[in-house]
Amino acid sequence: MGISLDCLRDKNLMQLKKLNIALFPVRYNDKYYADALSSGDFTKLAYYSDICVGAIACRLERKEGGSIRVYIMTLGVLAPYTGLGIGTKLLNHVLDFSAKQNISEIYLHVQTNNDEAIAFYKKFGFEITETIENYYTNISPPDCYVLSKLLPVPAAKK
Amino acid sequence: MGSSLPPKEANLFKVIVKSYETKQYKKGLKAADAILKKFPEHGETLSMKGLTLNCLDRKSEAYELVRRGLKNDLKSHVCWHVYGLLYRSDREYREAIKCYRNALRIDPDNIEILRDLSLLQAQMRDLTGFVETRQQLLALKPNHRTNWIGFAVAHHLNSNCSKAIDILDAYEGTLEDDYPPENERCEHGEMLLYKVSLLEECGLLDRALEEMYKKEAKIVDKLAFKEQLVSILDKLDRVEDGEKLYRSLLLMNPDNYRYFVGLQKCLGLYSEIGQYTTEAINQLDVLYKSLAEQYSWSYAAKRIPLDFLEGEKFHHAADNYVRPLLTKGVPSLFSDLSPLYDHCGKADILEQLFVELETAVKSTGCFPGRDRKEPPSTLLWILFLLSQHYERRGQHDLALVKIDEAIKHTPTVIDLYSIKGRILKHAGDLVAAAALADEARSMDLADRYLNSECVLRMLEADQVGLADKTAVLFTKDGDQHNNLHDMQCMWYELASGESYFRQGDLGRALKKFLAVEKHYADMTEDQFDFHSYCLRKMTLRAYVSMLKFQDQLHSHSYFHSAATGAIRNEEANSSSMSKSGKRQHAKPVDLDPHGEKLLQVEHPLLEATKYLKLLQNNSSQSLETHILSFELNMRKQKVLLAFQAVKQLIKLDENSPDTHRCLIKFFHRISSLSAPVTDLEKLIWNVLEAERINISLLHGKSLVEVNKSFLEKHKDSLMHRVAAAEMLYLLEPDKKLEAIQLIQDTTNDTAPPNGALGPVGLWRLEDCISVHKLLEQVFHNPEATRSWKARCAEYFPYSTYFEGLKSSAVVGLANGNEYSVPENGDLNHQVVGGSTQNGNLHSFKDLAI
Repeated sequence: MGISLDCLRDKNLMQLKKLNIALFPVRYNDKYYADALSSGDFTKLAYYSDICVGAIACRLERKEGGSIRVYIMTLGVLAPYTGLGIGTKLLNHVLDFSAKQNISEIYLHVQTNNDEAIAFYKKFGFEITETIENYYTNISPPDCYVLSKLLPVPAAKK
Repeated sequence: MGSSLPPKEANLFKVIVKSYETKQYKKGLKAADAILKKFPEHGETLSMKGLTLNCLDRKSEAYELVRRGLKNDLKSHVCWHVYGLLYRSDREYREAIKCYRNALRIDPDNIEILRDLSLLQAQMRDLTGFVETRQQLLALKPNHRTNWIGFAVAHHLNSNCSKAIDILDAYEGTLEDDYPPENERCEHGEMLLYKVSLLEECGLLDRALEEMYKKEAKIVDKLAFKEQLVSILDKLDRVEDGEKLYRSLLLMNPDNYRYFVGLQKCLGLYSEIGQYTTEAINQLDVLYKSLAEQYSWSYAAKRIPLDFLEGEKFHHAADNYVRPLLTKGVPSLFSDLSPLYDHCGKADILEQLFVELETAVKSTGCFPGRDRKEPPSTLLWILFLLSQHYERRGQHDLALVKIDEAIKHTPTVIDLYSIKGRILKHAGDLVAAAALADEARSMDLADRYLNSECVLRMLEADQVGLADKTAVLFTKDGDQHNNLHDMQCMWYELASGESYFRQGDLGRALKKFLAVEKHYADMTEDQFDFHSYCLRKMTLRAYVSMLKFQDQLHSHSYFHSAATGAIRNEEANSSSMSKSGKRQHAKPVDLDPHGEKLLQVEHPLLEATKYLKLLQNNSSQSLETHILSFELNMRKQKVLLAFQAVKQLIKLDENSPDTHRCLIKFFHRISSLSAPVTDLEKLIWNVLEAERINISLLHGKSLVEVNKSFLEKHKDSLMHRVAAAEMLYLLEPDKKLEAIQLIQDTTNDTAPPNGALGPVGLWRLEDCISVHKLLEQVFHNPEATRSWKARCAEYFPYSTYFEGLKSSAVVGLANGNEYSVPENGDLNHQVVGGSTQNGNLHSFKDLAI
C-alpha cells in the first residue's frame, strides 16, 4: 500500500479539520489553519491508499535578525493507521524540506507525560531545551517541554 | 438572378449574394441600397436585403422586406428561396418547406434549393418527400458520392431496406476496382459496414456474410467488423464460428458483458431470465473458471458467476470476489453487488459473509483462514459495505450503526458521509440527509459530484435558497440560473421544480418543468446539422441510430417527470383559479422570474392536455400517464377519453390500487349523471353500456361488490386496503368510520425471509405519508390522522414527516462538523496509538495560544 503526501489547500482544508477532531482534544482556531495554509510545503496531508490518514502542520516564524524557523504545530496519524511509518515520512519530509530551504531551527511543544512522542522526536535528533510550566490550561499535566533541533547552517550563509 | 436589372445593377446584385455568403453583411446592405435607389420595388433585391438584415438580428424588418420582395416578384425562385431560408432560421420548418416547394415549382432543377429542402424533410421526417428530393438530386448530379448515399439512406429511413441496398450496389458498380484511395478508406469502410447492416436488417444473412468476407480487407474499423460479423453468425446459428469470434473479442476487451452473453449463447448456456438447471450451472461454473484464468485481469469474468451460482458455491465465489476488492478499497463495491439482492436467498448469504469477514478482521486483523495481515483500511471498507447492505435491507438502524463505526474508524473518507446522508434520506430525514451531503461537500470543495449531490439533497429537503447558493459555486460567473439552464442541467431543474411544487409556488415550479421540456425541444433541434454532416462524413450507422434515438427522445425519464410535473402543476393551477376566480397578478414583471406569467394562461387544462399527448405518445407503458389522463379528462368532462384511460390502466395492471380507484370513480360518476338527453349523450351512453360488458372486473357485480372483492383479494396489502377504504367512503359516505377502521386494521407484517429485505416491516414510508394525507384531507378525521401519525412515528423513527423520535425534527441536527466538541475526554487514549513503533505519535501543543 502506497503512502503519498499532498499539500494543504483551501479545497481540502476540511480533511485536516476532520483529522484534528479525531486526533486531538483541542479545537484549533482559524489562525492555526491560516498559518498552516500559508506555510506552503511545510504542511502536508498523508494519504494511505488514497485515504487521508495523517498530517503535519507547521507555522513559519521570523526570528529576530530575519532568519526563519519552523514550528511544528501538530503531527498526527489516525489510530488504525499508526505503525506504518506514516509519521516518520511526514516528519522526514519537513526535515528534508527545511534543510533545502536553509532553515536553521525546528521546534515544537509536547506535554511532559507524552513519553512516546518525546522518544519519537529524540530519534530524529530533537532535544529538550526548555520546560514551560502551566503551558496547557485544560489538561493535566499542564506542563510542556520545548523540543528543538538545529539544522547545520549552510556554509554559504556563515 | 437579378435578371431584370441593367448590367450595372445586376453586378451589384451579385455583390449582395456574395456578401451574404461570406457574411459581409454591411457590404451587402450597401449594394442593396444602391440598387433600391434606382429600382425601389425590385423584388429580389428587397428579399436579399431582408435576408441580410435577418443575419444582423433585425427580425421584424427582415420579414417585412422579404414579404414585400415576394409580393413584387411572385415568379422569382430567389424570393421564395429567401423566404424559406428566413423561416428556417426561425425553426419554422413546415413553412420553410412550403416556400422551397414554391421555389422549385419555378426552378425545378435548382440543386441548392433541392438540397436545402431535403434537409428539412429529413428533420421533419417527411420521408416520402425526402426520397423524392434525394432521387431528383441523384438524377441531376449522379457523379456526386453524397447523392448516391443520400438516396440510399432516404429509402432506408422510409423502411425500404432492399431498395437502399440496390442503390448502394449500383453505387459500388460505378467505382473503379482500386477504389478507395488511401485518404477515403475510412469513409468507404463505413459505407460497406452500413450496407452489411442493411442486409442484416432485411434478413439477407447469407448475402451479408458473403459481403463481409469479400470486403473484409476494405473495412477499416476492425472491431465493428467483428461485432457485425458475430451478430450475423448468431442469427445464422453458426455457433462454432460465433464462439471463436466471441473469444477473440474477449481478448480485445475482457470486461464487455455483451461478449460474455454472446459466448454463453453460442454454447447453449444462456437464459434470458437467469434461470439455470443444476447441470447448466455446473457447466457455466467450469466455463467461467477457465475464462477467469485466461483473462486474469477481467473483473467481469469473476463477477458474472455470482449471478448464476447459488447456495454454498455462491457463498464461496462471493467471498473470493469481495476480499481483494475490500483490501484494495473500492467504494463502488456495493453498487456492483446490489443486483444480487433481487435473487432469492442471496441477501442472506451475503449478510452472513460480510459479518464473518467483519468479525475475523476485527479480532485477528486477517480474513478468515488467512494469516496475512490486512491493511487497516480493510475494516473500514467492510463496515462501509455492511452499512449499505443493511440499508438495502431496510434496516436503517443497523446501517447507521455501521456507518458511524466506519466514520469513527476513519473520519476522512468522504463516501462515508454521502452514504450516511443517503441512509437518512431513505429513513425519512431529508433535513439531516442534506446536512450530511453538505458535510461531504465541505471535505472536497473541488468535487463537482459532491456539490451536485448536496444541491439535490437540499432541494429534496425544500431548502431551495441554500441549494441555489451551493449550485452557484460550480457555475461560471455566479450567474447560476442561466448557466444551469444553458448546461441543460435537468436533474437540477426537475428537483427544483418539484420542491417549488411541494411548497405551493406553482409559477416557479412550472417554469422549471417547462425549462426541461425546452431542452428536449432543443435536442430535437440539434439533429438538424447532422443531416448534411453525416452524409458527407459517411458516419451512416451512427447517423441512422441517432435518428432512431431522436424518434424516441420524449420517452426519456426526465421528460416524463417534467411532463407529469407540468400537468399536475396545471391541474393545481386550474383548481386554484376556479376557487379565486381569475387571478390577477399584481406585478407583470418583464422577465417573469417567478413564472407568474406562465400561470396566467387562459386554460391551464388545455396546456396540460398538450403535455399529456406527448406522454401518451411516448410513455404509454406507464401507469402514471393514464392516471393523469383519467384525472384530466374527468375534470374536463370528457367521458370517453377518461374511459379510455381506465381501459389502458386495466390492461397495464388491473391489480394496481390506482387502477381500482379510477375504475370505481369512473363508473360511480357515470351512475350519478342525469339520464342522457341529447343524441351525443345517448351515443356516449350506448358506447359505455357496450364496453362495460367487456370489463371482466365488473361482471354481474355492483360497484360496492367490486370494491369488496378487490379488498378480499388484496387484504394484506396496505395500499390496496387504503384504495378499497377510500372507494368505500366514496360509494357509501355513511360508512366513513368503517372505511377508516379498514385502514387502521392493517398490520405492518415483516418481510418474508430470503428476499432483499431484512426483518423489517413491509410498509413503505412514502405510502404511509400518502395514507396520512388521505386521512387528513379526504376523510377529515383528526383522531385517525393523529393515531396514524403516532403509529408511523414508531415504524419510521427517523422520519421528519411523522416526527419520529430519532429524526432531526425532534433531536435537532447532530452536528458532526468542525464546531462540535469531541465527547471523548480521555487524553492518553487520543494521543497514543496501540503499539510502540515509531509512527504513532501525536504531539499536541499550541493549546495556550
